[in-house]
Amino acid sequence: MKILRRAVPTYLALGLGALVILAPYLMSVQTSVKTPRQFAQQPPLAAPDPVTAANYAELVIGGHTLIPPLVITVQVVLVVVLGQLTCSVLAAYAFARLDFPGRDALFWVYLATLMVPVVAVLVPRFVLLSEAGLVNTFWGIVLPAMFGSPYAIFLLRQFFRAIPQELLDAARIDGAGHRRVLRHVILPLSRPILATLLIITVVTHWNDFLWPLVITSGQRWQVLTVAVAGLQSQYSGNWTLVMAATTLATMPLLVIFVLFQKHIVRSITITGMR
Amino acid sequence: MTATRRRDTAAGWAFLAPSLVGVGGFLLLPVVVVLGISLFRWDLVSPAHWAGLDNYLSILTDPAFGRSLAVTAFFVLLVIPAQTALGLAAAVLLDQRLPGSTVFRAILVLPWISAPLALGVVWRWLLDPSDGAVNQLLGHRVEWLTSPVLALPSVAAVTVWTNVGYVALFFLAGLAGIPPQYAEAARIDGAGPWQRFRRITLPLLRPTMFFVLVTGVISSFQVFDTVYAMTQGGPAGRTEVVAYAIYREAFVDFRMGRAAAMSVVLFLLLITVTVAQQSYFRRRTTYEMG
Repeated sequence: MKILRRAVPTYLALGLGALVILAPYLMSVQTSVKTPRQFAQQPPLAAPDPVTAANYAELVIGGHTLIPPLVITVQVVLVVVLGQLTCSVLAAYAFARLDFPGRDALFWVYLATLMVPVVAVLVPRFVLLSEAGLVNTFWGIVLPAMFGSPYAIFLLRQFFRAIPQELLDAARIDGAGHRRVLRHVILPLSRPILATLLIITVVTHWNDFLWPLVITSGQRWQVLTVAVAGLQSQYSGNWTLVMAATTLATMPLLVIFVLFQKHIVRSITITGMR
Repeated sequence: MTATRRRDTAAGWAFLAPSLVGVGGFLLLPVVVVLGISLFRWDLVSPAHWAGLDNYLSILTDPAFGRSLAVTAFFVLLVIPAQTALGLAAAVLLDQRLPGSTVFRAILVLPWISAPLALGVVWRWLLDPSDGAVNQLLGHRVEWLTSPVLALPSVAAVTVWTNVGYVALFFLAGLAGIPPQYAEAARIDGAGPWQRFRRITLPLLRPTMFFVLVTGVISSFQVFDTVYAMTQGGPAGRTEVVAYAIYREAFVDFRMGRAAAMSVVLFLLLITVTVAQQSYFRRRTTYEMG
């Protein structure tokens, strides 16, 4: 009985919180299946009548198709994830498992770069890439992120250091070089941290907006977030179309989240993402 | 032995090479370059002109930049206490581990994995004075994003809404690390729930608190996407945070020198804030247990 008395207020508070979080998602979906006509004539919370897929059709096969931005976003995320994980793993192995002059000083420098705020290097990054002729190109979008991140390197290094030396020695005695040790001993043991970094990197770069906004212009290399922002400013007031666009842009990650919920939640706490 | 060491050295630098491009080329070099650019007058098209410290003088005496610093500070002051308190409250509720709490936890984290830009667009509609759902629910017309008084708190509220679940996750992890014996002992000594929370849980959460505050301050100092989607800095600059000011200066008005000087000021501010927080917490954690 006493437990019940405590449970009721807790459930009420959590339920209220969940409602406040979910309501905007539900309302945007509800609006996205209305006709612009209904939206203009009835209050915003009125149920969709009739339910229409016209807004989505417009964004998939119509004049405002989001398919090219979707394809570009997927490509950007793939290249950044592959590049960032590979480069970070290599660097972390060097910092954790190799002994060479300058290693500790360099590691300290890497750690110091964690303090550099992204917004503060926006202008110089743009200038450097524009000198290289990479403004409004695919490589302009991915280059700053694809050579590893100091934070991923730091996390991987901590993980690699915890792997028992005997395992590595055994492989070395069998004649394995560094590359084989890394591939056949370290990486299989590091699946949890790799999965964590994979998730965080996908989420961060799927949602990234400021850098693609700055480095691209026009429609050619628009990623999803930039395309949604463009749609909103071009069709302000056409909220049924815009809500369909935000729904499409957030849906893929929401699906992934529902599938891998436990793992993603854990990943966030491990990395302290962002 | 020396042969191994030589081989390790070669392997070490080879393995580090790609990340050196990233860290050197896209983090360290930009810090040097931004300092350089801040000393020039430059519009990206015509040749740059040496300006010395003129850009710094110009932004520091510009009321618009002063206002954007104030707006940012006010934004941080609105967001941090609210998201920390609500995140902590949510964590304490979830920590009771009632059946179904993992579902609630997942729901609370949802906004954190959605693009801030997309969420900003959704809220821009929800808060629209005539077409928006919020005003319909209230049955009353409120100019959430166009009133000079309400615009910044509205953007801050949306930011808090986005971050609460994320903050709660960290407090939840912190709470899980506190041995239950402490609270048990205090209860036997007659301490009530509030006293136990105040005197035992809260002090032991200090490391988590530090992490949540530092990362929270650093990220809210740099807020951009939400502002871009909801207000574009308006009305009349009332939501023009520093990140937005830098963006506008560089990529709308093409004054790269001034934008670079603003970036340097933001960088210095963030370092100062981080160091201040660090020393504050170091002073306050001396009596921490085990």
